[in-house]
Amino acid sequence: MHDPIDDSFSIYGEQVTSRLLIGSALYPSPAIMADSIKASGAQVVTVSLRRQQNAAAGDDFWQLIKDTGLKILPNTAGCHSVKEAVTLAQMCREVFATDWIKLELIGDEYNLQPDPFALLEATKILMDDGFKVLPYCTDDLVLCQRLADVGCEVLMPWGAPIGTGKGLLNQYNLKTIRERLPELTLIVDAGLGLPSHACQALELGYDGVLLNSAIAGAGCPVTMSHAFKAAVDAGRFAYKAKAMPEKDVAAPSTPTMGMPFWHQT
Amino acid sequence: MSYNIAVVGFGLTGRLAALELSLAHNVTVYEADDAQALSSAGRVAAAMLAPLAESVLCEQDLALMGLDSISRWPGILAQLDDTVFFQQQGTLVVAHQQDRGDLQSFTERLKPLANHHAQQLSGAHISELEPELSGRFNQGVYLPCEGQIDNQAFYQASFKTLKARGVKFNFGENINCQQLQQSHDYIIDCRGLGAKSAQCKLRGVRGEVIRLHTPEVNLTRPVRLMHPRYPLYIAPKPNHEYVVGATEIESQDNGPATVRSTLELLSAVYTVHSGFAEARIINIQTGLRPAFSDNRPQVKHQGNVISINGLYRHGYLLAPSLVAEAVSLIK
Repeated sequence: MHDPIDDSFSIYGEQVTSRLLIGSALYPSPAIMADSIKASGAQVVTVSLRRQQNAAAGDDFWQLIKDTGLKILPNTAGCHSVKEAVTLAQMCREVFATDWIKLELIGDEYNLQPDPFALLEATKILMDDGFKVLPYCTDDLVLCQRLADVGCEVLMPWGAPIGTGKGLLNQYNLKTIRERLPELTLIVDAGLGLPSHACQALELGYDGVLLNSAIAGAGCPVTMSHAFKAAVDAGRFAYKAKAMPEKDVAAPSTPTMGMPFWHQT
Repeated sequence: MSYNIAVVGFGLTGRLAALELSLAHNVTVYEADDAQALSSAGRVAAAMLAPLAESVLCEQDLALMGLDSISRWPGILAQLDDTVFFQQQGTLVVAHQQDRGDLQSFTERLKPLANHHAQQLSGAHISELEPELSGRFNQGVYLPCEGQIDNQAFYQASFKTLKARGVKFNFGENINCQQLQQSHDYIIDCRGLGAKSAQCKLRGVRGEVIRLHTPEVNLTRPVRLMHPRYPLYIAPKPNHEYVVGATEIESQDNGPATVRSTLELLSAVYTVHSGFAEARIINIQTGLRPAFSDNRPQVKHQGNVISINGLYRHGYLLAPSLVAEAVSLIK
């Protein structure tokens, strides 16, 4: 039996026990953000440097994030070119004193789909520069394989486009990536709306989920944060417990009294 | 009984406090900036009075305070020697087809405010309210209790009236409230972000606002457009001026507006009405909204210092009620 308490996964060698990674944007207030992050039990919080103009100007907001005591995962949200993303990653490394970077490179302005070609190129550059890259990618197996080839230990395929809340649009693809890349840490990033979506990702064997809008955009973010925490735990337990096989024919779970057992189907 | 009262900070709350207090007391105003108070958040704001729309993101008590404030504005403006534009003809909320999910969730989250209810609108209803938007939007929401004022006119008119009442002014002086405690019976601290060192939890939230002029567009009331990141308003002011705002960025940077923000605001305004294509850009301003971590305002009373701060994005919406609360603390 697995001990559910002793269950961690690795982000480039660093052991993380909470399988819910949380974003820091779009909350109704910083106080609600802090309470939501606390309720989520997350150990990793993503932050964006992009719209802070300069580091000192965002000091107060950063202080609130630092006060959470969580491991910071800076992201390159809003970048559209390799050069932009690489420069921003380098700035993030300076400002946050971490070599982790969630690499986000947008290819389409409307659905904010990652640009797979630029992503691979930027990942190579940053890995060579000593970064530990967590690429936000589409659920394309070959792209994931190529990202693994350049040294990524963590991949973050999308569930659905950012902020849509649609859940896991292509479970088959996500399942395939999990099966074909068993050694990698896989996190579903973006597109989740409901705790059940997070639960499904964990049931598929994903190591975690990263989300922001699903909590920040909920009517009551703190309560939704509790819900996601429970859902992630449920999904992880289910994955470790190994689900019963799905069948097409009903099978009674209780023997019927008064019928010879060989007549029971 | 008449007191000697210092009002520190001559932004929106400082002006309202001085107007109220100068009716019965000797008031002296201290402002670190000049009479223009260009760094004041209230000067940059779109000056929307939108309790229903804001109820989506703030607590109900604040939205109700907003309703109370709206009822106070006409009385405040009636004291002024010059006329200041005030309007309460509601807000029209619209969304582009692909953002209709945002409009639906916005509508679902409107909080009940007394007997003020949002009204769902079809495309035909939108045309009736704002004929120039005919055919552009298929659905919308009308928030009848909402309004707006002309903040630039209010800044000028309030200064003029206060001068006429004999209020004394000290501009360009960085005043510490403690220094004034001996010489005044009461100090009303309205410094906004200027009080940051004293109230360490205060932070600035950057906002960028664009003022346009165009005779080609005739909107009669504020129009709010659903946007994934900001509550975006087009507020028609007198003389064919339109205030478009505002971005909301967690940053204390008070530097000029960025290209990204400007493009976002202007492309949004153009998608609402193509007549804005030929509008003149009068100015693009940046301001910092003073906010506490819960984004709620605070009125505090310590000794003879009464402070009003943290109005965040709700300056015009909440200031009249908060100033009334602060003034009631003066015995």
